[in-house]
Amino acid sequence: MDLVKSTRMEMSNQVNNTEMYITGAPACPGIVIGNTSLYQRARPHVSDTQITDDETEVHIHKFYEALDIAEEELEALLENTDMEDLADLIEMQIAILKDPELHNRIEQEISANNKPVDAAIESIFRNYLQVIRENHGETFQNKSVDISDIRDRLLQIIHNKRDDIKEGAILVARELSPREVISFSNRNIKGLITDRGGATSHAAIIARSMNIPTVVGTQRATEVINSDDEVVLDGRNGEVVVHPKDETREKYKSLIEQQFKRQADFESLCKKPNETSDGKTFSLQANIEFAEELSIANKYQAEGVGLLRTESIYLSRKHFQNIPQQVAFYKSILELTTPHQVTIRLFDVGGDKFFGDEGKEQNPFLGWRGIRMLLEQPELLKNQLRAIIKTSEDFVGRIRILVPMVSTIDEIRKLKDIISEVQNELLNEGIDIDKDIPLGLMVEVPSVALKADLFARHADFLSIGTNDLTQYVLAVDRGNERISNLYDQRHPAIWRLIKEVAEAGERNGVPVSVCGELASDPIAASCLMGLGINALSMNAVVLPSVKQVLRSNSYIEMQQLAEKVLAAETMDDIDNIFSNWETKE
Amino acid sequence: MIKKKVTIVNDAGLHARPAAALVKLASKFESDFYIHLYGYKVNGKSILGVMTLAAEKGAELELELDGPDEEEATEAITELIADGFGEVYEDGNE
Repeated sequence: MDLVKSTRMEMSNQVNNTEMYITGAPACPGIVIGNTSLYQRARPHVSDTQITDDETEVHIHKFYEALDIAEEELEALLENTDMEDLADLIEMQIAILKDPELHNRIEQEISANNKPVDAAIESIFRNYLQVIRENHGETFQNKSVDISDIRDRLLQIIHNKRDDIKEGAILVARELSPREVISFSNRNIKGLITDRGGATSHAAIIARSMNIPTVVGTQRATEVINSDDEVVLDGRNGEVVVHPKDETREKYKSLIEQQFKRQADFESLCKKPNETSDGKTFSLQANIEFAEELSIANKYQAEGVGLLRTESIYLSRKHFQNIPQQVAFYKSILELTTPHQVTIRLFDVGGDKFFGDEGKEQNPFLGWRGIRMLLEQPELLKNQLRAIIKTSEDFVGRIRILVPMVSTIDEIRKLKDIISEVQNELLNEGIDIDKDIPLGLMVEVPSVALKADLFARHADFLSIGTNDLTQYVLAVDRGNERISNLYDQRHPAIWRLIKEVAEAGERNGVPVSVCGELASDPIAASCLMGLGINALSMNAVVLPSVKQVLRSNSYIEMQQLAEKVLAAETMDDIDNIFSNWETKE
Repeated sequence: MIKKKVTIVNDAGLHARPAAALVKLASKFESDFYIHLYGYKVNGKSILGVMTLAAEKGAELELELDGPDEEEATEAITELIADGFGEVYEDGNE
């Protein structure tokens, strides 16, 4: 009898709560298990009734109350953010709350048209957004999101919606604005899952800087997950398990325990010297794009920044023209990384980012990008060089310049000419610049790797960008999902090229480092060490796990591992070598 | 009442950040402030209004100020716009 009952229960459980896997892009590593809260950005239902003349005063009062609450919230956020872009965004939202025309029109809508406060807000904002969209066209999309975001917050306040988000929940949302991520982080959110957005979206970067395990771009999380569903979120690989079976839950629980133990060890681990078990030293640095990412990098004792991406300076705003703003950005990074070096990569974007549709190309990754574009846009290039070199005045010996997408020696010659031109201009202005800023090349075009000796003679250092190198060597577009199984940075051909570059660096006395994703896999990092590359730069969150593996193995073992991957023929061989190494203890 | 024409010089035009800076400055003055462009007239102290203008680089705004401090206000606002809201290249070394 009991057996029958329990079987039936199990069956009904299965019907309602079948274990299901969905995947997205990993945006911040870490595993969490917990219950979900569904965040409805979708606006609360707006009343469509008319109010009486007597009620209008109350509704107008409600409007001003909501404005005060929203403004207080934004002021608090503003105090807690040191990200300049975000501060601008919040300032703009505060300006909207203070907009005298908005106040007049909403009051008017309530008192003259007898609209309830929520409907009044809805219709006045709709008018504004419509005019703004018509006048600006498509390009204004981003800003109108911030305008509708503030409207939605006002409506939520008026409906007294505490948005049903429970403390400590895993938040599931269609998409999140940077403002929302920050405000949720104050409520102990354990993890974030979104339908839309990429790992490089502004919201994802903020989640990462706050160390909240996050999976983005799942397409359908809000469709298949309900509030209070149990989920496992694995931010390491972008996997989400909805209604995990007992054994799945147990599996992840023990993984979390391991992680937790590791985390506790991490901080003490990170304070230990960077050396293998047999005393070979190495250096670990962080890849970053924003100053906010340095909080984790510093916690994990990164030795400076091996790759500072500068594209956001352009992409977020037209800062590239504004030298003081660029200098302020570089300074903010250098001040937070004393006494280490910061390697600044010149703008690495395709022409389409600057010149709209005219710049559209059939094969943008094989096209007009990186240094190819910069040399034809001397103003853009000179502005950036001027800002970097000017910054060096206060940070002598700490800045390195890295050139993206180099494929010919001629490009390096031309760039060096422009650099000395800018140096001379600044010297003539009496600025005491660092005259010996090292100039490094990204090794990402296969011909550069194949002729590494030649390129090494023209550079102060080489940095292997395995992300693009892999896509060029394997002829696989990383963004093409159909063939994404062919993309693997651990491919035997890539190891062989890395070996060539490492040896060429050694022969020419030019340091070689790796700043691609390959370095963030602890076993691959061991392999790179085995090939003689002892400077690795990676996303800061993976620093401890890489350091742990590098410290607990000997250089001799790493050399043996490197020999094995060089001898490997297929990806299956590589997988075997890696899993044997992982379980060898 | 003062009327004055001024041209947008920063590349990005009167987008969100400059609009916020403009209304913040204008709100410090008592005078009424309107902007005329392409036949539209908006309250220059209203950020939503200013953003509806979608004024791009090269657009010629007509400022209309009326009130006790209209002269100082005109001067300050003209300067902010002519300076490209601090977004223009800082010197002539291009």
